[in-house]
Amino acid sequence: MTEKIAALLESWGVNKALEQVEFLLDPANIPFAIWETLYAPLLAAVFAYLIGLPLGILLVTGEENGIRPMPKNLMRVLNTLINLLRSIPFLILMVMVFPLSRLILGTSIGTTATIIPLTVAAAPYVARLVEASLREIDRGVVEAAQSMGCSTWQIVTKVMLPECKPSLISGATNAAITILGYGAMAGSIGGGGLGAIALMRGHGRGQTVVLYVAVILLVILVQIIQTVGTRLCVKTDKRITHK
Amino acid sequence: MEPIIELKNLTKTFGAGGGQVSALRDVSLAVYPGEIFGIIGLSGAGKSTLVRCVNLLEHPNQGAVLFHGRDLTGLKEKELRMQRRKISMIFQSFNLLEQRNCLDNICFPMELAGIPRKEAKQRAMELLETVGLPDKAAAYPVQLSGGQKQRVAIARALASDPEVLLCDEATSALDPKTTDAILKLLQTINRERGITIIIITHQMSVIEQICNRVAILDAGQVAEIGAVEEVFRNPKSPAGRRLVSPSMALPLAEDMPLARIAFNGNASADPIIASLVMDLGMKVSIMGADTRNVDGKAFGTMLISLPEEAEKKKTILDYLNAFAGVTAEEV
Repeated sequence: MTEKIAALLESWGVNKALEQVEFLLDPANIPFAIWETLYAPLLAAVFAYLIGLPLGILLVTGEENGIRPMPKNLMRVLNTLINLLRSIPFLILMVMVFPLSRLILGTSIGTTATIIPLTVAAAPYVARLVEASLREIDRGVVEAAQSMGCSTWQIVTKVMLPECKPSLISGATNAAITILGYGAMAGSIGGGGLGAIALMRGHGRGQTVVLYVAVILLVILVQIIQTVGTRLCVKTDKRITHK
Repeated sequence: MEPIIELKNLTKTFGAGGGQVSALRDVSLAVYPGEIFGIIGLSGAGKSTLVRCVNLLEHPNQGAVLFHGRDLTGLKEKELRMQRRKISMIFQSFNLLEQRNCLDNICFPMELAGIPRKEAKQRAMELLETVGLPDKAAAYPVQLSGGQKQRVAIARALASDPEVLLCDEATSALDPKTTDAILKLLQTINRERGITIIIITHQMSVIEQICNRVAILDAGQVAEIGAVEEVFRNPKSPAGRRLVSPSMALPLAEDMPLARIAFNGNASADPIIASLVMDLGMKVSIMGADTRNVDGKAFGTMLISLPEEAEKKKTILDYLNAFAGVTAEEV
């Protein structure tokens, strides 16, 4: 089987076909790479939301006309910090965060170690996504909630977040895909996954078939995430009438 | 009787420095339990700011907001939230929670008050019945018409068992027929539950249809305040006249003496002007006329030209004032 496919590829002019096919068909390689591709970004996404969601809420509620205005200087510092983190290219941020990874995880190499730079890069992005979602809410709805005697906490948990749920889901889909993309990039500093395979084997060693397979698998993963996200978003949105 | 809501010397300015706008200037008024009180004014008169000061969605720069004689402006936030539950509000844009169905929208204030879910649901069903939408419990706001949304909003406003209902242009986004139905519903609620209603509107017809008393707001100040009939029959302020008979507020020939005749509903069937011309032998022109139906009685205002001579003016005014239910004055 392996030889047959390799021979076929050779006949199409592919170099080192046997080596590539053997690698791709080995059950230890691709499934594990998919797992590695998903687990670090997914964990990073969870951590990024733990930090980014409250930050995003604060960006909306704490502004001058928000429901709980915060000191102007605090908001300014927060905004600047988020912009700063977002403007650093991920590759550079990753290297800059090495000491932090070493401090928290004891290592700065490997798939697990990429969780730290991924979180640092994604949290400010998530904060902006959440901010944008919450800004969609009609000021009048918040006002109505205030007129009913809602506290700030109740407005956030019972009005803002539930009313923005579809938009938040769509934002989370975006975040997941972006983090997945960063994760593929993290392959270059010793993280594993499809990105690393595409980079090291595919690009580095000229194994074009491996490169294409890895990229196609990444595309499929993104497609799945996007489809699930969109479906979930549409399904939760009660503003859309399902007939 | 003690007022339920009393606003004392409210002042509110927005912005600072050169761009400062005063929305309210020393506004004082009292609303008594059980009445339907209208606040009318042209857009930009400060109506919305005023009504938002009642439940302190907007904090006045100066002045006091008394609810049962207690100043709300001095309350701690938590205490204010408790008081707000006694003062419900409905809005022009309904402001329903779009991700909740009607039943859950109505349950919302009860959720805040910590009423058990089962009890809240039952009460919400009763309220849906009250507002005439018993079959819409599971419907989401997007599936409702404007009038239906406002009914749900009213049910939601009633859920906290309020003493006062604030209506901020509640019918302005609705067609005349729906407006009529919503106003009737508000009237029923006022009668049957004894809820005091404060209505903010720019539509004279809304005031005519359900209000007992009205305050006319002009450029952030109360221009006049009184029983609706009284204000309609004889608006004392320029803003009042503009609102009661808009067509007559137009600047006419500058120095032409004019008289305004007000009919209070008893006399409008008599051919007063024709009688005047025939009896006195003096010619007058009708410059404008506007009559409307208030509380089942016809009210009218008419603007006629007067001769230049003071004596003739007096003769005409005296003649007109002799009719029952007619007041005439030079303007």
